[in-house]
Parts: sequence; structure tokens; C-alpha cells
Amino acid sequence: MFTTIGNTDTSTTTSWKVVLPFYAYAAIAFLVACLLLLLSAGDFTGHYFHPHTLAITHIMALGWGTMMILGASHQLVPVLIESKLYSNVLAYISFASAAIGIPFLVHGFYVFDVGLHTQCGGILVIVAIISFLINLAVSMVKSKYENVHAFFIFTATLWLLTTAIVGLLLLYNFSFSVMPKNSLDYLPLHAHIGIVGWFLLLVIGVGSRLIPMFLISKYNNTRQLWWIYGLINGGLLAFVSAFLYTANKSLLTIPLLAVGTAIILFGDFCIRSYRQRIRKKVDEQMKVSLLSILMMLLPLLSLAIIITLLIFTIKENISLVLGYGFIIFFGWITAIILGMTFKTLPFIVWNKVYHHLAGKGKMPNPKDLFNNTIFKWMSIAYILGFVLFTTGILIHSIPVLQIAAALLFVTSLLYNWNVIKLLLHKPAMS
Amino acid sequence: MMNVITNNNIQCTIALASLQDVVDPEIGLNIVDLGLICQIDFDDATNKIYCTMTLTTQFCPMGESITNAVKETLTTTFPKYDAIVELTFDPPWNNEMISIEGREFLNEK
Repeated sequence: MFTTIGNTDTSTTTSWKVVLPFYAYAAIAFLVACLLLLLSAGDFTGHYFHPHTLAITHIMALGWGTMMILGASHQLVPVLIESKLYSNVLAYISFASAAIGIPFLVHGFYVFDVGLHTQCGGILVIVAIISFLINLAVSMVKSKYENVHAFFIFTATLWLLTTAIVGLLLLYNFSFSVMPKNSLDYLPLHAHIGIVGWFLLLVIGVGSRLIPMFLISKYNNTRQLWWIYGLINGGLLAFVSAFLYTANKSLLTIPLLAVGTAIILFGDFCIRSYRQRIRKKVDEQMKVSLLSILMMLLPLLSLAIIITLLIFTIKENISLVLGYGFIIFFGWITAIILGMTFKTLPFIVWNKVYHHLAGKGKMPNPKDLFNNTIFKWMSIAYILGFVLFTTGILIHSIPVLQIAAALLFVTSLLYNWNVIKLLLHKPAMS
Repeated sequence: MMNVITNNNIQCTIALASLQDVVDPEIGLNIVDLGLICQIDFDDATNKIYCTMTLTTQFCPMGESITNAVKETLTTTFPKYDAIVELTFDPPWNNEMISIEGREFLNEK
């Protein structure tokens, strides 16, 4: 009747020892990024190519976003590909290289000394990405189960590697002329390969698996996901070609439309999953995550305005570009992480502390391991801080930027409070 | 009773009642109503309970905790027996396996 696998060996899940350092590092990186934002709030009334802005962007993109995603991916890849993670050693190498490389890189940007130590930082980040890519590729090859979500993650990691290599070339380009133009001219290329190729592709690939799973939804549409995959990758390739080989700004509307359509299709996927859910009550963490999907539309709208202005005025609107970057890193990516941390980390910690004690007495639920009131205050501080800071950028108001930065710093403190509470949790049974 | 295959209806009913204390930590619903238990057989000659179950997803991070809890609960309920828990993913779990009571619980919560 049933084909059993003959045992209960479910220890094929990735060890918490691999995953937790990524979460802890990302939490500290978020705190540091918000502190730097507080100290440099006034810089957000000037040009986006500012040492402090570059430092904050890289700590948010790498220390916060990428470290969190890498940590969660090491845990989620076995679920997605239905096979064990190939190597814990590669995961440790990935963590150590990134953990050492990111501060070198960020410090280099902050003091704008893009010499040897900053370049070494960049190389270490590339080593971290390659380690993850190998780990992922071998895990996928060993898995008998192929699915669209795994392709999303793998392709996203290839784009991340491309982003890092382009970034390293831009660093060298400050000292030696390795590229035909100034490094500043290539920033949109570097940034968009990272934002669309890495973050967007990965968030959709993982989200399209986790959102229906957490909602216990009946909805599943692989064909729709393949369309999204094709539109994002096609759009990104079109952007790279248009950027490198033509000066015609109106061609940028093609990738914008492709990626925009992909985001709308993903929005449709989420709405259908939500409507066809069996589990009617949606928790706070899931609400924040769903809000972040809606927030994908904000950068898209900003980008459409930026491109329209570029086509018709041939002049870049600096505040709008700054606002666009801020919305992506402190808006969309941060909202996803704030929600998903407390949807995944409590389970990892619960498993670490209680899996040997299961069935031996009453134990707390994973969602009881962190403080939900703190989570709610964190969400309020975050939404207020985010809206105010975006407003501050657009109206060039330093006091507004400083108040908003303080609120975001409070957000990071509350976030770290709950993360530390989780990481230090000790068994409590009755 | 759920659609659980068994060679001993009475014992199986007791086993399922006790397994209702094992809750999926993420969903908050017990594993019986979630439809994770597929078959429970009792071997009186060797004093063994063979429990075949599934998980909502293969490589579920909570899988080890859930199977440990099932083994522990069955051993506590039937002290003379040794519980052997086996996993199956053929057929894979889907939300049609959730019981009517389970659906009511999820709609209410």
C-alpha cells in the first residue's frame, strides 16, 4: 500500500550549527547598517555616489540581505530539492569567507579607500558565493527531484556571482583602468544584476514554495512560475545588452516591462494562493511577508518614473534614484526578512532545543520562543521609519531623515532583542 | 476514524486518540487530523507496533521531532510494545488528507 523509506531518518535536514551563524551575523549587520544610517542621515540629501551611502548599501545588500538569504537557503534547499545538502564544510567556508570579507569591503567604502583590503574583501565575498554555488549544484545533481524552485535559486546564485565579479572589476577600475568607462557609469548594471538577478529571482523562487506551504494553499501553478522565471531572466539579459551596447534609453522600457510583468504574475500567484488557503488565520509574520510582496511595486513604480525622466529630460533625478535604492534595501528586502526571520528562526531553534524531548512532556510552541509584543512594536517602528525616511529623501529634509533613521535604529534594536532571545533559548518544559 | 489502515481496530483507535496529542508545531494541528498517519499494525507475537506515517513535505525540518514524538507517544500508550515508525512519501502528502475536523480547526483559527 505504502512505499516506506524503511526508517525515520529525518536528520537529513541541515544542522542548526550551519544555519544560525548566518542569522546572527545578519542581525548584527542590520544593527550596524541602521547605526550608520543614523550617523549619516544627512548624506541622503546629496548624491547617491557617496562613501557612506555605498557602505550602507553594501552592508544591507551583503551583510543583511545576502547573509540572511544564504542562511535560510542552507536550511530550505533540502526542502525545495528534496535531498540533503551536499556539504556542511562548504557552508562553513561560505559563512567564514563572507563574514570576514564583508567588513573589509564596507569599511573600505565608508572611508573610501578602495585599495588592497577592500579588494580582498570583494574576493572573499566571491569565494563565499562560489562555495554556496558548488554546494547547491552538487546537492541538485544528487537530488532525483527537479523543480522550478531549485532553478530559481541556482540561477539567482549565478547572477549573484556575476554581480560580485562586476563589483570587483569596478573596484579595480578605481585604481587601474580595466573598463572603458568610469566605475560610476557601471553602477546601474552592477546594482540591477544584484537586485533583479539575485534578490528578486531568489525571493520569488523561495516565496512561491513557502507562501502556499505556510498558508496550506491548494493553489499550485508551475507553468506560471516558469513564465516568471523566463520574464525575469529575459528582462535582465535585455537590460545588460541595452546597457552595454546602446545609448538609447527608451530601450530600457523592454526589461522594465518584462520584469514588471513577472512581478505582477507573482502577485497574482500570491493572491490566488491566499484565496485558496485552507488555513484562514494569517499570523503577523506572514502578514509582514505578504506586505513585502506588495512593496515590490514601489521600486517598480520609482524605476518607471526614473526611466521616463531619463528619456524625456536626459537628466537623472538624484533624490529619486536614492529613494529607489532605499525602497529596495530598507523597504522590500528588509520587510521580507523581518517577517520571514520569525517564521523560520523559531523553528530552527525549537528543533535544536526540543527535538530530543518531543513527546516527553508539554513544551512551548516555536512561536512562543520570541516576544510577539516586541515584534509588533518593531513592525510599527519599521513602517514609520521607512515611510518617513523615504519622504525625507524626496523633500531633502535632514530633521525628517534623522527622526526616521532613529526609528529604523529602534527597529534594528528590537529585531536583535528578539533574535538574541531566540538564540539564547534554553529548554522549558512542564 | 481517519482512513488509517490497521490490523486491529480497537488498538488503533486508542493509538490515534493518543497521537492527537502530537501537534505539528508550525500548523498547530494534531498529526492525526493533519492526515500524517497512514497505517498502524500491531504484532502481538513480537510485541511491536508498526506505524507508517508521512510528513507534509519530505525533508521537513520538523520531521525528526514529529517522528520522535510519535514513537514516544505510542510507547507510553502501549508500554508492552516497542514502536517502530516508518516514513512514506508514496503517495506524497497533500491538503486533501486533512480531516473534516482538521479543516474546521484551520478555518476557525
